[in-house]
Amino acid sequence: MTNIDSAAIASSASPMPLLALHKLDKRFGATHALKAVDLIFEAGEIHAIVGENGAGKSTLIKLLTGVHVRSGGEILWEGKPVALATPQEAIDHGINAVHQEVVLCRHLTVAANLFLGDERTRFGLLKHVGMERAAQKILDDIGFSLPAGAILSSLTIGQQQLVATARAAMRGTKFLIFDEPTAYLTRQETQQLFALIGRLKAQGITIVYISHRLEEVFQLADRVSILRDGNLVSTQRVAETNEEQLITGMINRAIDQIHYKEHIPFGQEIVRTEHLSGRGFNNISVRVRAGEVIGLYGLIGAGRSEFVQSLYGRFARTGGQIYWNGKPVEIRHERDAIKLGIALVPESRRDQGLCLNLGVGFNINLPIFHRLTRGVMISRKAETGAADGQIRGVQIKAASREARASSLSGGNQQKIVVGKWLNHGAKLFIFDEPTAGVDVGTKVEIYKIFARLLKEGAGIILISSYLPEVYDLCDTLHVFRRGNLVASHTAEKGAPETILAEAIGA
Amino acid sequence: MSIDQSAAAGALKAKNQARINLLLSLTLFGLLALMWMALWLATPNFLSYANVNGILRQGAMWAILAMGQTFVIITAGIDLSVGAVVGVSTVIVAWLLTHDFPIWAAVLITLGFGWAVGMFHAFGIVQLGLPPFIMTLASLQVLFGAGLLITNGASINITNDAFTQFSRNDFLGVPNLFWMVIVVAIPAYLFLHHSRWGRYLYAIGSNLEAARLSGVNTRLMIYIAYSLSAFCAAFVGILLAQRIGTGNATQGQGWELKAIASSVIGGTSLFGAVGSVLGPLVGSFLLTTINNGANLLSINSFWQFIITGGLIIVIVYFDGLRRKRG
Repeated sequence: MTNIDSAAIASSASPMPLLALHKLDKRFGATHALKAVDLIFEAGEIHAIVGENGAGKSTLIKLLTGVHVRSGGEILWEGKPVALATPQEAIDHGINAVHQEVVLCRHLTVAANLFLGDERTRFGLLKHVGMERAAQKILDDIGFSLPAGAILSSLTIGQQQLVATARAAMRGTKFLIFDEPTAYLTRQETQQLFALIGRLKAQGITIVYISHRLEEVFQLADRVSILRDGNLVSTQRVAETNEEQLITGMINRAIDQIHYKEHIPFGQEIVRTEHLSGRGFNNISVRVRAGEVIGLYGLIGAGRSEFVQSLYGRFARTGGQIYWNGKPVEIRHERDAIKLGIALVPESRRDQGLCLNLGVGFNINLPIFHRLTRGVMISRKAETGAADGQIRGVQIKAASREARASSLSGGNQQKIVVGKWLNHGAKLFIFDEPTAGVDVGTKVEIYKIFARLLKEGAGIILISSYLPEVYDLCDTLHVFRRGNLVASHTAEKGAPETILAEAIGA
Repeated sequence: MSIDQSAAAGALKAKNQARINLLLSLTLFGLLALMWMALWLATPNFLSYANVNGILRQGAMWAILAMGQTFVIITAGIDLSVGAVVGVSTVIVAWLLTHDFPIWAAVLITLGFGWAVGMFHAFGIVQLGLPPFIMTLASLQVLFGAGLLITNGASINITNDAFTQFSRNDFLGVPNLFWMVIVVAIPAYLFLHHSRWGRYLYAIGSNLEAARLSGVNTRLMIYIAYSLSAFCAAFVGILLAQRIGTGNATQGQGWELKAIASSVIGGTSLFGAVGSVLGPLVGSFLLTTINNGANLLSINSFWQFIITGGLIIVIVYFDGLRRKRG
């Protein structure tokens, strides 16, 4: 059931929409990814699209950028039907996208990446110096403070995303799609991005903004469309709706409280660090009790990941002591930490958390293969039983336990990583940005898993750069800044603005 | 769709996929059988006792080499040194025998040498951070040179008849050398497919970082993988010395490429995390059959290279198609 905002069309400033989709349809074999979607994009508007993972957002992006060809319906660009059969055709029309994952060349410089495919040459030879200067001017004009001569991989992921944005914005773009652009950006970089988006809109460029962060939708967008299960649920003016309505539209059920938290009495102390120091962090003393969630909040680079990785045995400590169940311990390898009962759900599930081209069951059983043996050999029955049990336990939606991990959605992939540690039975769970790029429905499921872990007597360290999440879920909130623990808040947390100020150092 | 419904549908899909996989795996066997049938029809001697014996003996060595190489390739590494290890192993075992070491001692010392070479490779890869390609390529040169130095480029004649007889004898009608394939293949199969260490090798090939963060002792497993490969190569060196009765450093030259080709034809992916024990076995006998068939048909031996290369392209292409569908 589609619902087009006819009032918006009638009152729009431009006489004809820039891009109109009539009954746009896409099937992948048996999967009906987009079901006869009618959508209109005006010139110069910021149009947000929200929806759960699997709702059809990335399919829509791929159809608009020429990666896939539509199965049915029409695409009208400036009133004329177009095929958009290849990525080059989309670029020729001025349609560009900034994707969730950085798809640039990490070994090349920023300037080389910006001019990739469009290099400036003299007599067939590259004009390196000229391009670097031009690239720096482009970056400065856009308002991103990035060095054009730097190798891309030396920048943070957030900065790499900004380079991708600059590249997309610079090529005569008329229609720019952003897919989860702020996932890896610092607050300052987010402001730079929003400023750029504002300027692009003033130039008459249409922006499509896809994000799970609904507050950004309300901050930036003119209109918002909701996709659910391949259908367009509604398109509305942002001013005429609110977060609750959007969420209800996205998942077709009301969520009273996304940040699901039960109050659980604290038990024994599980882990304690005293004056722990290492590479990138200094003098950190924290404590986690059974049933407790401690949050580590701060800007990127504040030292939270370095701290927990030292706790996990990845990096050596240079000072301080770790106590487990009250006794001092040495943790030199990940295996030491795992044996004690520490689990790490890492920041990048693709790079650090999963063996993507192996099966779901394999990934889930990886930490416990030594327990699935009968004698020296692995018991197939134990192996499949453990895998199926955990798949059911965290409700992973996969074709089968043999399905490759790479074939699952981001949210389900994250569940595999969590599930494998549930399988193992750890006591301390460290979650590093667990809900980055995860849709609302799966987020709630992950938070419910938190509650389950806590009830079973585990403790949780939660690293998050998303203040609402860490604010609502944690019992104790520690604020990191430049490797130091600058503030701790317990029950009386105070205003979010205060915490933010502590993190920035304002 | 509830979880159970989709799981049931998924299980059915997986079973169908397994059937297709079995069929495609059988294509390797099928290809081998087809080749044998064609050669039987085309030549008078192909299925003669002597010829089949010869194929089993020659193929046995490449098969064992390929199985060892597969462990390494599954970890997304490669072992380019195995040809030289074979050659130097023949020299070592020949030297020991001609200096009156008992057979069991000569064999054990040579096998120990092979294991040590593998540990050295793993040391370079794990501790020094050298890429496997570079480390084993360098080792190939060093070992080859060392072997030539020891023998001054000459061959060492083995006069120990008990030793060389082994390669000529049969057991239950099947050449001893082929029995050695079984002796290696069965533990290799159990290790790779049914033990947790085999699982760890796949995990390392898929994502080294994720494997380590999940508690796998990745360093130890890499040591094991390269040691097994070099160990197999030393084993093959001993078998080869038995067969030709000499120790010569140039024997086995180019065998590393045969081992890799056999493994890849058998379905191992050079990107890691994909491979089996049976595949390389069949792959190596495919290559041996081509070799043998070309000789029998008096085809210019240079054609063998072209046929082998073409076969690799065709089989890996179709294997890639199968994977994409799965």
